[in-house]
Amino acid sequence: MPRRLLGLLLVLPALTVILFLFVLPLALSVVGAFETEAGYGLDNFTKSFALYSSDILFTVVIVGLSTCLIGLFSIAIGGYLTLGENPRAVAILRWLYRWPLFIPFIVVGQVLRTFLAKNGLMNNILVGAGLITPLQAVSFLDWRGIVIAFVWKQTPFVTLLLAGAMASVDRGTIEAARNLGASRLRILIEILVPQVATTLMVGLVLSFVTMMSVLSVPLMINAQSPTMLTADIAFRINAYGDYGVANALGLISLAATACVAWFYLRQSMKERG
Amino acid sequence: MTAAADAPARPRRRRFDLDRTLNTLAAWVLALMWILPLAFAIWTAIHPSAYEARFELLAPLTFENFEKAWGAAPFARYFLNTFMLVTLILAGQFLLCTLAAYAFARFTFPGRSILFTLVLLQLLVMPDILIVENYKTMRILGLVDTIPAIALPYIASGFGIFLLRQTFMTVPRELDEAARIEGSSILGILWRVYIPLAKPTYLAYGLVSVSHHWNNFLWPLIVTNSVDTRPVTVGLSVFSAIDSGIEWSVINAATLMTSGPLLIAFLLFQRQFVQSFMRAGIK
Repeated sequence: MPRRLLGLLLVLPALTVILFLFVLPLALSVVGAFETEAGYGLDNFTKSFALYSSDILFTVVIVGLSTCLIGLFSIAIGGYLTLGENPRAVAILRWLYRWPLFIPFIVVGQVLRTFLAKNGLMNNILVGAGLITPLQAVSFLDWRGIVIAFVWKQTPFVTLLLAGAMASVDRGTIEAARNLGASRLRILIEILVPQVATTLMVGLVLSFVTMMSVLSVPLMINAQSPTMLTADIAFRINAYGDYGVANALGLISLAATACVAWFYLRQSMKERG
Repeated sequence: MTAAADAPARPRRRRFDLDRTLNTLAAWVLALMWILPLAFAIWTAIHPSAYEARFELLAPLTFENFEKAWGAAPFARYFLNTFMLVTLILAGQFLLCTLAAYAFARFTFPGRSILFTLVLLQLLVMPDILIVENYKTMRILGLVDTIPAIALPYIASGFGIFLLRQTFMTVPRELDEAARIEGSSILGILWRVYIPLAKPTYLAYGLVSVSHHWNNFLWPLIVTNSVDTRPVTVGLSVFSAIDSGIEWSVINAATLMTSGPLLIAFLLFQRQFVQSFMRAGIK
């Protein structure tokens, strides 16, 4: 059998699944978003924006803010793991930061729902430490809770990628900068981060896509309006069987993700000349 | 010469010590902050409900919360469903991704670049845009409320194909040639040369896949509606709904049970898991 044909045959099973359960649904979702009772039009989008414009904005802001914070925490943790000089602190941080990686989003939502509530442990610690009075305790079960949940869960993923990339940076450059008296912060910002920027971007783009598609966290931490688009999609399907608006909302989410992916691709094309 | 070299070093050393102390302190605070929510969940799960919001070092330990949670919902069935689900997905992914990755790594065929781009596109498209159409497909196939319905959309994983392709491309072509000279068929070479050399990647990918699909919530929530098919994540959400009136300590015990197997897997295989990210070389 010709080798070219054999190659195609090997790809065929995966290709069939991708075609029927990814490409075709993707195309049908796009078409479905424009499908109305009177034929094709923008009714689903008009309805989506009329009903959920604040949720669209809320979703983009929440996920964008979380992505920025994840980037900052990842750089801080990855930087300390690479440049830290206290072996015990490095070992403890390395061991502890990864744990949320293996915890399902629904569990993250569940744990933080009890942790961030008005009478949860966080407020009890603050009251116990004398930082606030019981009357001043507030619940964080709103947008702040979602951001905390996303950052807590996704930072280990980006840090893992970043720490690996930082570890492979030439130690000679770091040592040379140290010998010239550069502080660790300066080495981190001026030497390490520029060299691992591509990996950081990949991690952040993947995290952005992941967070845009999480349902359990907004459902558990902040089910009231405004909420995230995933909760709206599930609601349109489960409560109304309204596939048109659900598809339109999915497409709007996809557009937001595509913008981020396009930005990343443009940056990486520029870097490669 | 020596004195001159030492002179500027002294003040730098004093600054460095302060810098080091502050950095170490920040690292400890960050590490403890990161583990605090999980530590809180463990604390409430293994203590009576009276201690769920206050910390006393000598508070009595109990497993009653786990017993209550286990008895309050069909968790045994949920775990079985999840186990069947992740096994089915992983077996399908290993088969399909291996064949496709081998082809992308070592064969030239028409449309290879376009097809590989299509595979990678999966990484950037959110699964929820496909939910409606995939649900319709499952209904046409008569698979709604079955475990294969939850598994099917994921068995041709873009990440799996990409990761294995990267690994297969690092296998020296000389080994490939040697096996061919000894009379191995194409699939024989894959089985005897490529797969054994990619074992660490398979283990690492397996862990990532199991973790991801154990965690999956939205698609299983939509496509299942009975105890016989619900995975543990959906079961947990039903069990711990806000208006269920169940104590937090019991909910946290159930929560820990849900992620317990994954945390144990993480403890056992964390080295391989971390190395998989290093090897993947994602750029």
